[in-house]
Amino acid sequence: MGCVIYLKGFIMADSYDETRQAEDAVFAERVAASLRAPERAHPSFEKRLMDKVRMEGRSLYAAAGASPNASWWRTEWIIRLSPRGGVAIAAGIGAIIALSGVAVGSRISARSHSPAATAQAAPARDTVELVRFVFVDSGAASVALVGDFNGWTRGATELKRSGAPGVWTASVALTPGRHEYAFIINGKRWVADPLAVKSSDDFGTESSVIRVGTAGKSET
Amino acid sequence: MPSLPDPSCDPRPVSGSHSLVTGSSDAELIDAVLAGDIDAFSGLVRRYQDTCTRFAVRMLGSRVDADDALQSAFMRAFRGLRSCKDPNRFGGWLYQIVINECRTYASRQRRRELRFPPATEAIERAVAPGSDDEPDRDVGGHIERALSMLPTEQREAFLLKHVEELSYDEMSEMTGVSVPALKMRVKRACDGLRDLLEGVYHG
Repeated sequence: MGCVIYLKGFIMADSYDETRQAEDAVFAERVAASLRAPERAHPSFEKRLMDKVRMEGRSLYAAAGASPNASWWRTEWIIRLSPRGGVAIAAGIGAIIALSGVAVGSRISARSHSPAATAQAAPARDTVELVRFVFVDSGAASVALVGDFNGWTRGATELKRSGAPGVWTASVALTPGRHEYAFIINGKRWVADPLAVKSSDDFGTESSVIRVGTAGKSET
Repeated sequence: MPSLPDPSCDPRPVSGSHSLVTGSSDAELIDAVLAGDIDAFSGLVRRYQDTCTRFAVRMLGSRVDADDALQSAFMRAFRGLRSCKDPNRFGGWLYQIVINECRTYASRQRRRELRFPPATEAIERAVAPGSDDEPDRDVGGHIERALSMLPTEQREAFLLKHVEELSYDEMSEMTGVSVPALKMRVKRACDGLRDLLEGVYHG
């Protein structure tokens, strides 16, 4: 059985001295030289892309002079009200705005994961939160943690036996936001955290989801 | 975007019937698309597809995955064209989208490899240089394989810094990661490559 415990903590990025940077730059230059060789897109790349663009594009960007496809919020409305009716309708509009606020809030949150939105906002974040992962299995010989935070790299985060029998733990610094993870038992068996929200990838593999809150809260 | 090519240097002929494409700036092409001239987007595709392909191929180590990631990235750019606030810096904006899309694909690759592990020993043999009495000619191949073994964020930082030759400030703007964190990633990437390529450069 696995679970996640939030521990308050902060880790700042380490410094990296200039001498070492210069040494690395010399080595990196030798390595990077061959990687700078140009690569051409596949000859059919543009055609395949433009086929999709043309299919979607007409509805996204209407041609100049085309009949206006005005959405309801662009339509000008003139409403004449009595004072009493105005108060009643104002209350109704207030409720709609409040509900819209929820929907818009969700949408903005979802957009923040999309490349376009990240490209525009995405402030630099040095502060991370320390999250403790716990897995209980008395029969396990080793327990590893894999997730988007360690590039799904096997062996990057090994859980250690704690004092209690069969209890394995590891603390990992996570940036705020949504993260997916899973445990690997004895180097082979993939196990999603049974106490966390599940997520499936393109191949039907289940992982678990942890949301690290910016306000210092973790959710599972 | 210092490493993005001068559009006028692209030697390939312009195909199609669109006369606006060749001499127009990014901003003019974007204006044309937003005004309903959808085919003008092909000018932007032609201008940036090769530069983006280099990054994506190095990042994902697979031309097939790179092609998929770039198709998806360009479509995202097309759909979000109205949100490109500075059309004269379209290249940098597009690059941000490409970086994010490559991260998504790299994560999928990692999962795929965990569930269906490749022959690790064969990969390590492929990365290891030949013996002293057997001259090793495929240095580029060793480098690409070593690069593919780095964690995604280190590979990304190394490529942006040393292959795309961006400044740390530009990298930070594009990735949303702080400059000190990026420097640390580049350092760790160099350390990792040094270990993996030990012998290829004879130390």
